[in-house]
Amino acid sequence: MTIWGALAGGFVGTLVLTTGLRAATELRLTRTDLPFLLGTAFTADRTRARALGYGLHFLAGLGFAALYYVVFRAIGESSWWLGALFGLVHGVFAGTALVNILLPLVHPRMGSTMSAAQSRPLLEPPGFLMLNYGVSTPAVTIVVHLLYGAVVGAFTAASG
Amino acid sequence: MHLSEDDRGGAAATGLAAPAAVGARPPGDATYAPIRDYAAIGDGRTVALVALDGSIDWLCLPDLDSPSAFAALLDPARGGSFALAPEVPFSAERRYLPDTNVLETTFTTTGGAVRVTDAMLLPGPGLASGRELLRRVEGLAGEVPMRWSVEPRFGYGAWRTRITRRVGVPVATGRSDALAIRSWDAGDPELRSGSVEGRFRALEGGEALLALGAAHGEPLVLPARRELEARLDGTIDFWRGWAAERRYEGPWREAVVRSALALKLLIYAPSGAIAAAATTSLPEAPGGERNWDYRYCWVRDSAFTLDALLRLGCPGEGASFFWWLLHASQLTHPRLRVLYRLNGGPRAPERRISLAGYERSSPVRVGNEAATQLQLDVYGHLMTTASIYCEAGGGLDHDTARRLAGTADLVSRIWRQPDSGIWEVRAEPRHYTESKMMCWVALDRAAALAERGRIPAGGTERWRREAEAIRRFIEERCWSEELGSYARSAGSGHLDASLLLGVLMGYDGPGGRLEETTQRVAQALGDGSLLHRYRADDGLAGGEGAFLACSFWLVDALARQGRVEEAASRFEDLIALADDVGLYAEEIEPRTRGFLGNFPQGLVHLGLVNAAASLEDARR
Repeated sequence: MTIWGALAGGFVGTLVLTTGLRAATELRLTRTDLPFLLGTAFTADRTRARALGYGLHFLAGLGFAALYYVVFRAIGESSWWLGALFGLVHGVFAGTALVNILLPLVHPRMGSTMSAAQSRPLLEPPGFLMLNYGVSTPAVTIVVHLLYGAVVGAFTAASG
Repeated sequence: MHLSEDDRGGAAATGLAAPAAVGARPPGDATYAPIRDYAAIGDGRTVALVALDGSIDWLCLPDLDSPSAFAALLDPARGGSFALAPEVPFSAERRYLPDTNVLETTFTTTGGAVRVTDAMLLPGPGLASGRELLRRVEGLAGEVPMRWSVEPRFGYGAWRTRITRRVGVPVATGRSDALAIRSWDAGDPELRSGSVEGRFRALEGGEALLALGAAHGEPLVLPARRELEARLDGTIDFWRGWAAERRYEGPWREAVVRSALALKLLIYAPSGAIAAAATTSLPEAPGGERNWDYRYCWVRDSAFTLDALLRLGCPGEGASFFWWLLHASQLTHPRLRVLYRLNGGPRAPERRISLAGYERSSPVRVGNEAATQLQLDVYGHLMTTASIYCEAGGGLDHDTARRLAGTADLVSRIWRQPDSGIWEVRAEPRHYTESKMMCWVALDRAAALAERGRIPAGGTERWRREAEAIRRFIEERCWSEELGSYARSAGSGHLDASLLLGVLMGYDGPGGRLEETTQRVAQALGDGSLLHRYRADDGLAGGEGAFLACSFWLVDALARQGRVEEAASRFEDLIALADDVGLYAEEIEPRTRGFLGNFPQGLVHLGLVNAAASLEDARR
């Protein structure tokens, strides 16, 4: 198992995750658009926000792959199913804390449950399990993160 | 903050009527205050309604569309309230502190006078509760015995409410909600079965404070008195600063700014959506079944909303609303729901709850079944909203532009279907004229946006062709020679005030027909300066009052058609019909002037702002 294998897995896994989310959006299953959410933290121009957001999303994907690698090393084992298990935890964390609570607190254009009359947010808050973005969003989020984790786990295990 | 003497004029000084109430309703008394007796306070997340007798009878927590903690408005016996008033007979008058959403009620008794300042506090210095409601009592003269009683009933009165003390503070809990009831110099709080009560004597120069801190799914915060007072000062400063920035310098500034402040209360700050009203199930006819939940955002109101926000000089709120609308409608694209939840959700399942209803008008509904109706006019409103946004300098990204073009394609395909119409008639769908006009508007605006390069132009020719087909349908089947006007629906012999939207939204009818329709609508549906929506059957029992939004639409239409003096005269009449603090419900009973329907109603205040702006435009 090598860090390069994990990073390669992170890149491919993010491709799979992003494609899966986009497909779910086109199928009207969810309004979640993680690159858009990330990009609008830096610009209110929707087109630029998407472009920037994709870059940031891939960087985040590599960062999480590095974190997965640290845990793989710590337990001395990596595999696609272990990666998928991490992906499950990752997906639940994203829906309950990361995107639901932490992102609205640092995102300058996103409302939060504490936004009051002084605020004029451009993005609605995602809510618990990102349910504000559609009732299927939790399931979509979990599935794409499972896929991401499985890809990172498989690449890490295959890297020797 | 201490107010200057200039700030302390009574309601009469504002030019608005100043009613007086005598005595308070005892807690739990099964009597209802007139809807006209309520004033609204809020913080951009939720709204509380305060009656003239000092009772807070409506408050949903944590958000405007959450279950209620106080709902005596709909059931004095079971709904819960926060009463605060003299224990002896009194008269009351009130006003908003100028240019704020902070309410000031002055109670006068034979022994003295007190002033109560009510506010939902905005976040400010110090650690605050999730939501905070503050009531400050100042002794103005003599000595006044005061009594207060907090009776929270969470979950529309259906959840079990427990009242205990935590570190000496009375706390009410129900499921994941909790309320801390704080008091300073307001007597010793007594815990009773289901309530916390206190008595004190308000002496001249003295000041007492009562505060509710609400928590939802988090620990309660117990702030110090000075922090609450600092947040009250900050709240007053914020509202004054916000009101001062509003752009309207015509003769009706006071009414326009009050409407702007009322609309700001209905804007749900976490998302930018605007609720149609702060309440559910206030009846359109006392004792009737026309009781609906308006705590949702209607796409139908979107063009009025963005237009009014931009005319008032609120580009931030306008952009926030437009982004929310685009985001919320994404899941159901290319179809639109009639309404969306304030958090953007598309589902609003309707159910009946066990509250008695305002003046026993049942059922009390939560959720709104109209969400699933087919209402073709929403597409015209969405496309007009996008057009207004672009004209104001806003940009459309590729995805949004593609979706708008997809929406125009959909309208081209479905405009021939009958629908439920703007009034959400729960009867057999029909070919409503206003719906067809708005379909024409949708395709006309889409073609214009495409020609300006704002949305893909591939469908432009088809949109123009279908728009022309819609116009032929309207002119051949919706015009009635007998009425001398467009009719309510194809082949109908009835009029409908929604036809005025043809004027307001720029339907391009052949010369003179819209002017004739305006005239006929004013004659046939008018009652003085008030206008009824329609007089035809709508599938529901009972009647309703005059519809205030339509009354303002008529002013707007007359101003746009150059009949400025008539429009101004009607506008003056309508302004005089507001309650003592400048707010409107959805409808009004023409003879008694009693309010009917949900309150305060955004569409009425949007109508007022847009009519005032159109009058100014016409005069220029």
